[in-house]
Amino acid sequence: MSKALLSIRDTSKHFGTVRAVDEISLDIMENEFFALLGASGSGKTTLLRLLGGFEFPDSGSILLDGEDISRIPPNHRPINLMFQSYALFPHMSVAQNIAYGLEMEKLPRPEIDARVNEVLDIIQLSGLAQRKPDQLSGGQRQRVALARALVKRPRLLLLDEPLGALDKKLRSEMQLELKRIQDKFGITFIVVTHDQEEALVMADRIAILKDGQLLQCGSPHEIYEHPQTRYAAGFIGTMNFFPVHLSGKTLVMDDGGRISAAIPEGLTEGSEAVAAVRPERLHLAHKAYKNKLTGRISAIAYHGLDLQLHIEAAASPQPVMVRLTADEAEGQPLSIGDDVTVGWSAENTRVFRD
Amino acid sequence: MADRRPIYLMSPALAWLTAFMVVPCLLILVLGFFRRGIYGGIEYTFTLENMALVFDPLYAGIFLKSAVIAGLAASIAVVIGYAAAYAIASMPARRQPILLFFAVLPFWSNYLVRTYAWIVLLNREGLIVALARYLGFEGELPSMLYTESAVVVGLVYNYLPFVILACYAPLSRLNTEIVEASRDLGASGWTTFRRITLPMTVPGIATGFVFVFVLSIGNFVTPALLGGGQFQMIGNLVYAQFLTANDWPFGAALSMVLIAIMMGLLTLQTFATERASGARRVEG
Repeated sequence: MSKALLSIRDTSKHFGTVRAVDEISLDIMENEFFALLGASGSGKTTLLRLLGGFEFPDSGSILLDGEDISRIPPNHRPINLMFQSYALFPHMSVAQNIAYGLEMEKLPRPEIDARVNEVLDIIQLSGLAQRKPDQLSGGQRQRVALARALVKRPRLLLLDEPLGALDKKLRSEMQLELKRIQDKFGITFIVVTHDQEEALVMADRIAILKDGQLLQCGSPHEIYEHPQTRYAAGFIGTMNFFPVHLSGKTLVMDDGGRISAAIPEGLTEGSEAVAAVRPERLHLAHKAYKNKLTGRISAIAYHGLDLQLHIEAAASPQPVMVRLTADEAEGQPLSIGDDVTVGWSAENTRVFRD
Repeated sequence: MADRRPIYLMSPALAWLTAFMVVPCLLILVLGFFRRGIYGGIEYTFTLENMALVFDPLYAGIFLKSAVIAGLAASIAVVIGYAAAYAIASMPARRQPILLFFAVLPFWSNYLVRTYAWIVLLNREGLIVALARYLGFEGELPSMLYTESAVVVGLVYNYLPFVILACYAPLSRLNTEIVEASRDLGASGWTTFRRITLPMTVPGIATGFVFVFVLSIGNFVTPALLGGGQFQMIGNLVYAQFLTANDWPFGAALSMVLIAIMMGLLTLQTFATERASGARRVEG
């Protein structure tokens, strides 16, 4: 494992009585693409502003290359932030916007020009160098904002909802584009996002924040397949939740069905819990699985690649979502009102105490 | 078919402006090209003498002096007003309205009363002299009232609220992320102000400056009261031509030149505002 570039240690930031960032500790590695994921109000933007130097922590420390930077103002940190609004300077051209940060470093003019041209090339906006920001499209502005931060070759680049203002199609293009650029520059990226799909696609590691606290940190696969809390399970992707209670050594669902799964520590006889299963882990070919539930199809949504069934079942207060691949759906005449049984394995079941 | 309601809604204002603004201006324009009658009346024969007289060194000098005083007042007002507006815009959002209210509070009293107040402050037995004496100043104090400086002070004082309001508007709209972006890219606070905040708020400065300049250059009350008739500004000269010298054609010619200067400045200001207007579209 490479060494930690950035260490956030027991860092807290309060605004009045609100704990925006509450005792967070995190290590971020060199060259990592790291995502801070959370709903609005989770503290992710405050954490980013602490890293950028726009707020100072009330307690704890932030180490960059082993040196405490938590009280250094933003203009003296080798960290750059790409703002959510892009914050381009409207009275300056694209080239002037990008050159601004290098002028602040008092570099000689020829070097500034060379580096501006180089980065314009990479973001493929060389032809628009003399345009003003209000003559650019949203996607172009986003690239300029990225270039303006990257051209300074920071140790760490912070991106606040970098794709938030773009339309859906452009967003998925830019997700890959950002990864390409990160790779090319070899700079550590920390992205703040509320979009779990974005985080899964782009990030090497994801930290899930809620109410200023760090819930879980891990690779996209870990976060998706092994959520540690009910909140994390529901926040990432789609999840079915079945209320269960412990009876003897087994878990019993509301419809009386018994399921097998790893039982969380501390769950006592009769106490309430929820079992969580991903829609793609439920199968119509249920014979092979120990865990089963039965219900009636209430809706069928065809997505091309896959088929989504909504099943009304006694075991779940909400419709159970089942995702069938095209192969699975083939040769199964399904229609609304049919009774079906789905099965799933114990390994793909997570149980959370409520 | 286009909606015609806007025209109906505008017509009372248009009629008012036409009757009481455009027509008098045209009358003045025409009047400026007539000859003065021997006993003060108007002789309806065309002449360029009045216009030529405006550019006579004597009168051109008064124009110049008025412009210098107005320019000085406008510059001082912009410096003080911009600083005040900047401070107000930096305050927590909920405190800003009350501060702006205090800034415009002087407008609630009469212009003349406010100007007379300065006489009380500045005169030989006034409060400022009394304060200096109280603090132990013994020597002869230079006369403060009835000087050019007193006129400038009076003009700055009276028009400062306009500048504060004009500068506050673009400052309060400035996206804080833009200022933070400049800091993030390595700029100090001062560099950020000089290269980002100031250029983006030029429209407010231009509006404030032109406002004070235009109101000052034609002003005749403040020079009359605080200048004490020691010197004349264009406003006093025009006043004198119409009401004392009874030379309406020359007064009209002076007025026309004054109006032309003001219109030129307002055009420049509109131009400056439009150039920087990109500054406000990017906020969202």
